[in-house]
Amino acid sequence: MSRPIPLHEIGEKEYIDPANQACQGCGGAIVSRLVSKALGDCFVRAEVACCGPAFMNIRAPSIYVEVFEGAGALMTGISRGLKRIGREDVVVLGIIGDGGTVDIGYQGLSAAAERNENILWVCYDNEAYMNTGGQKSGATTPYAATTTTPIGEYSRGKLERRKNVPLLMAMQGAPYVATASVAYPEDLLGKLVHAKGIKGFRYIHVSSPCPTGWGYDPKDTIKVARGMVQSGLWPLYEVSNGILKLNYKPKELKPVREVLKMQGRFRHLTDEEVDRIQGEVDAFWSRLVEKDGGNIF
Amino acid sequence: MIEVRFHGRGGQGAVTAVRILASALYLEGKYTQAIPMYGTERRGAPVVAFLRIGESRINERDLVHNPDIVVVLDPLLSRTVPVTDGLKEGGLIVMNFPKPGNEAGIGGRFRLATVDATGIALEALGRPITNTAMLGAFAKASGLVSLESLEKTLLEQWPGRLGEMNLRALRTAYERVTPPVDVSGIQALGKRPQEEIFSRDVSSWRIFKPQLDEGRCVGCRRCYIYCPEVAISMTQGKARVDYSSCKGCGICGEECPTGAISMIQEVL
Repeated sequence: MSRPIPLHEIGEKEYIDPANQACQGCGGAIVSRLVSKALGDCFVRAEVACCGPAFMNIRAPSIYVEVFEGAGALMTGISRGLKRIGREDVVVLGIIGDGGTVDIGYQGLSAAAERNENILWVCYDNEAYMNTGGQKSGATTPYAATTTTPIGEYSRGKLERRKNVPLLMAMQGAPYVATASVAYPEDLLGKLVHAKGIKGFRYIHVSSPCPTGWGYDPKDTIKVARGMVQSGLWPLYEVSNGILKLNYKPKELKPVREVLKMQGRFRHLTDEEVDRIQGEVDAFWSRLVEKDGGNIF
Repeated sequence: MIEVRFHGRGGQGAVTAVRILASALYLEGKYTQAIPMYGTERRGAPVVAFLRIGESRINERDLVHNPDIVVVLDPLLSRTVPVTDGLKEGGLIVMNFPKPGNEAGIGGRFRLATVDATGIALEALGRPITNTAMLGAFAKASGLVSLESLEKTLLEQWPGRLGEMNLRALRTAYERVTPPVDVSGIQALGKRPQEEIFSRDVSSWRIFKPQLDEGRCVGCRRCYIYCPEVAISMTQGKARVDYSSCKGCGICGEECPTGAISMIQEVL
């Protein structure tokens, strides 16, 4: 299990260039910075279509492929190649968006997990295809308004449940699976450093709010991310060899209403719909608490 | 046919502005076209949108290359983006700038009207979204569209309180916009060469900048770790802001536990 790294222990050295072309207050930019800081000098990065190639100016060998679904295959190839030349110490990192992980890239991800490839897959999840203007993805929270699930007379936002990829990966027997959030850098860095020391398929799913797509003021990125964790909308947990551990376990969750109210994409919600979300969150949370410290299946 | 180009930053509403303007002109019996430019429209990044106004049916479907009027929604945009490119001789520029037109750093055989749209937007909306204010300024400076039809379209776009707030921005800018001045004798200011579009200097993106009160900084490193741009570094236990990489998102000010960082408006 991971150990949170206190802020004063985090190194000064930067692995990304200052400033980028991302939106103001971009959660993904914070993810790219923290991930590269945690992994240090020795990693190769793979990327597919997402906001990332446009702004993640990480100073590491980066390979970009145009095929959206190709992240799993690309990382497999890199990792096998490194094994052949005897450089298994190099971490094969993929910072892949939620579209390339949850929807389009899922078959590659699932197959890589099945083969237990020696890769570290970091999904930075802004809950929609934000690079192309915010179309709904499999990771979008239910009831959210996106450009493909707009609010109108016959539409009340996204209707489907979100696909819980971290748990799917854990059920596939991946050695290490974790969720993290940009609002908890100690926890995120601890998980990355822990994952770095493990061989095999590692998956970390990071919640990274998007001010443009979620409809909030850029200064509130961390506030929204923290609210998601504190209200149970985004539970922080890790699954190490089938054992689940909750990393953030408050005595009482905050009501989801507060964090939903901050975001423009939930502005249309009626009280009943908020109650329904609260019910779903509470149900999932109580199951997580039940499984805490034990085997997930 | 009159062609207009809008320059703005993602989030300032350039695309919405051309749509409202096109609808308002349509109400007055004109033929109109509103064209957004497809690209990577990130919040804060430079964007363009186009408008055509005609007395008869418009057959062009191209982007606007030689506009008669240019509207600039951001005061510092002209330092990095060639806003006057292709503008016809004697053309009109309506610019969001808090000072008179001859101090805006734009030169050439054009006329330039300025208005402090950022100030007006902050006053009326509480947020630096300048599109509706610039529409008011456009209406007065160009005389192409009446205030009444713009007001009508605005209220259709945003019924209720939001519409009222935008209406206030529109009217205030209509009153405050300066008459166009001739800028032919002025040397254009600091335009970067074109090949440097991926410059690391993002200082012109921001409207508010973080100001650090060193006495109150306890060196907790929260601002440093949450900064998306690596604009904050820690020297001798105190935070230090590198303003050339700061986009002014305000996360540091929001997350500072001692309130040592305050966001103050940039003064041009």
